[in-house]
Amino acid sequence: MLQLVAKRLLATIPTLFGVLVVAFLLLNVVPGDPVAEMVGERADSATIARLRGELHLDEPIPVQFGHYLWGVVRGDLGRSYITQRPVLGDLAERFPKTLQLAAAAMLLAVTCGIALGVLAAIRPGGMIDRFSMLIAYVGVSFPVYWVGLLLILLFAVALRWLPPSGYGGLAFLVLPALTLGSRSIAFLARMTRGAMLDILPSDFVRTARAKGLGERRVIGRHALRNALLPIITVLGLDVGNYLTGSILTETIFSWPGVGRYVLLAIQKRDLPAVQGSILFLSVIFVLVNLLTDVLYAKADPRVAYD
Amino acid sequence: MLRHLHRTVNLFDTAKSALFLCILAACRGQSGGADQVRGLIYYETYDPRSLDPALSTDVPTGEMVTLLFDGLTQFDPDGKLLPGLADRWTADRKGQRYVFHLRPGVTFHDGRPLVAADVKRSFLRVLNPQTHGGRVWPLLPIAGASDFADGRARDVRGIEVLGDTAVAFTLTEPLAIFPTFLAMPVASVAPSPVPADFGQRPVGTGPWRFVAWEHDDYLRFVRNPSYWSGASLSESLTVRIIPEALTRAAEFLAGRISVVEVPFGETKKWEQEHPDWLKRKPALRPIYVPLNNRRGPLRDPRVRQAINHAVNVPEILRTVWNGRGALAAGSIPPTLGGSDPSRRPYSYDTTEARRLLRAAGYPNGFSLQLWRSGTNVEMGRVAQAIQAQLAALGIQVEIVSRDASSMREAVRKGDTDMAITDWWADYPDADNFLYPLFHSASVGPGGNYAFYSDRVTDSLIMVARRTVDQAAREALYARIDQRVFDAAPWLYLWFAVDLWAEHPSVDGWDIPVIFNGQRWTKARVAARR
Repeated sequence: MLQLVAKRLLATIPTLFGVLVVAFLLLNVVPGDPVAEMVGERADSATIARLRGELHLDEPIPVQFGHYLWGVVRGDLGRSYITQRPVLGDLAERFPKTLQLAAAAMLLAVTCGIALGVLAAIRPGGMIDRFSMLIAYVGVSFPVYWVGLLLILLFAVALRWLPPSGYGGLAFLVLPALTLGSRSIAFLARMTRGAMLDILPSDFVRTARAKGLGERRVIGRHALRNALLPIITVLGLDVGNYLTGSILTETIFSWPGVGRYVLLAIQKRDLPAVQGSILFLSVIFVLVNLLTDVLYAKADPRVAYD
Repeated sequence: MLRHLHRTVNLFDTAKSALFLCILAACRGQSGGADQVRGLIYYETYDPRSLDPALSTDVPTGEMVTLLFDGLTQFDPDGKLLPGLADRWTADRKGQRYVFHLRPGVTFHDGRPLVAADVKRSFLRVLNPQTHGGRVWPLLPIAGASDFADGRARDVRGIEVLGDTAVAFTLTEPLAIFPTFLAMPVASVAPSPVPADFGQRPVGTGPWRFVAWEHDDYLRFVRNPSYWSGASLSESLTVRIIPEALTRAAEFLAGRISVVEVPFGETKKWEQEHPDWLKRKPALRPIYVPLNNRRGPLRDPRVRQAINHAVNVPEILRTVWNGRGALAAGSIPPTLGGSDPSRRPYSYDTTEARRLLRAAGYPNGFSLQLWRSGTNVEMGRVAQAIQAQLAALGIQVEIVSRDASSMREAVRKGDTDMAITDWWADYPDADNFLYPLFHSASVGPGGNYAFYSDRVTDSLIMVARRTVDQAAREALYARIDQRVFDAAPWLYLWFAVDLWAEHPSVDGWDIPVIFNGQRWTKARVAARR
């Protein structure tokens, strides 16, 4: 296993280098000028030219990339053009908040999604099945920003149970986590139901029942465990997405996470902030994928990696 | 089996009660706003760049800097120029040399006394290329400032420190409005040397002291008890960062922010349901479409006039913009000296528009692009209305939607035929609506997005800048505005009227006409009514 992890980690280096190159080139191709965003609405050409020079934006692109790469190798993601703060510090400040939101959303997704899926599969066509599949349809079909705003209207404005937005204690976490997790709940419910329906008629489930095991053990120990593989796949992808910032949810709920940071950086063409964020988030994504692979092997010993 | 049934019933009950709650919520409606706001809470739409005045190039940064710092002069919410750290100033007859006398007994938040040398060092800091601030133009009229900013001089010869209590500025040429330039956030006075990590933990002389800043979340301030014009009425002020307009409305309805700009889509509803919450004020902000005077058919003033006649602006203002504006008959807002209240906007007259197009040699119309920023939904709708109305005259308009940064770059380079945009005032003077918008030196990044260039206009603007007598200056502005209006470099739309809601428990707050005109010193949460 350790060898697998080490091998995978080594393989990420070219991937990340590729990400860096593509991100750098893309940012230099898209229209929009970071200096224009720095100087604001009214500026003279002399000031703009001077700032371009000071930020080395007038150098050839390969030279700029060389500077940047040298910084990255030394663990320096540079400073934001706009705020002049170190990008790594900004990301480190926001990432725990994104992590918190992602964890809460995942927790909701796993508990609600898997429970709904299992309950639905126990009696296909029954009341619970219809109800949970309705929730799944709704969760998959409704856009996140719409769900978020509705939740705010209901729970924060009309009922006054929860704060509409912001960062703070548990109360602040509920609505954004529910919003962010809604799609995963829906996907997981459908996924779990499908997988369980495949597995429940299997011989080993019948055997388990025949030897007198309680229904709870049959479902939990025998059936669900075998249905886990596709669930882990979905979970892994979702965790990767959540950790790399959920721009819509963070924006609607004024959640001070990585997603909003990236969005503002893109809007302001804050090149070091965008590049730094892309690199940082790529690392996170790669690590989550690696973790997913490890979990596969744990869940199903038949999965082998060369 | 029974257990399954039991679970089913339970879940069914839960679903039923959830539905019931929804109905209950629908019956109660949006009943917010009655509770008391906990402390004074304002908001920004995105995190400020920094709290260092030298970096204040955008509205959030400028507004926060205004809470913490003072300039030599300042604006009140109505845009009137007031003494700030300078309690008086004198100008020579030409308006080229100014002496500002500092208010005695002012101290920074860390206890250091304010001295005239702080003013000079603050301005040098702003101009210093190492600061990477980006907004030096308010200080460039000072003699020697350009050379210093370009690294060609080691000092700014136009700034003279006269002992501890006065500072004199000599300008490159007379500039009557120089004192208004010094009310801008970038001209705030910082202690020297500035403390470490100044942009994150600022120390100023302003009405509020810095307490905390959680990025993208909130800033917290506490009142400066020894503020020179008296301590703020409220003990603390929190500024939250809330990017989404509908979330801000929800926060307001839940009683968690003190004031909110009414979202466009909610205008009618709030006007009907909560007229007592609302405050309106004409803003110093024209909404307009620069017609690129250097491109294709738009080079001909008759074509530009035809476009102005072809668009039913009053109807678009009423329907698409919810009436939140005042029709524009010129570029100077009606509340400023120099605007001519007797001038009529271009009439909606398609016959006249057709006649002008024929005369210009375009009887069958032509094609144009109209750029809009994808993030500004309301302006996008206005663009669609303009597109439809110009189509009636045979002018085929293609709407190009880009993000704000891409659009700005294209507009500044002169790559757009038309673009719908607005102009936020930096200082409440007609000059701010003429020099940047129509002087040929401002073409492109300076603000002249119409690429309008007229030697007579240029020289009149410069004469007005040098004219010290206010009445004479305003007469000149009116003349310039008329001249430009006749040439129709824009499709003139309207001046925005700001519409805000103030929480019933809050008083002493007013909409500022200029973004840094509200210092929150007189606002407070009143006892529950």
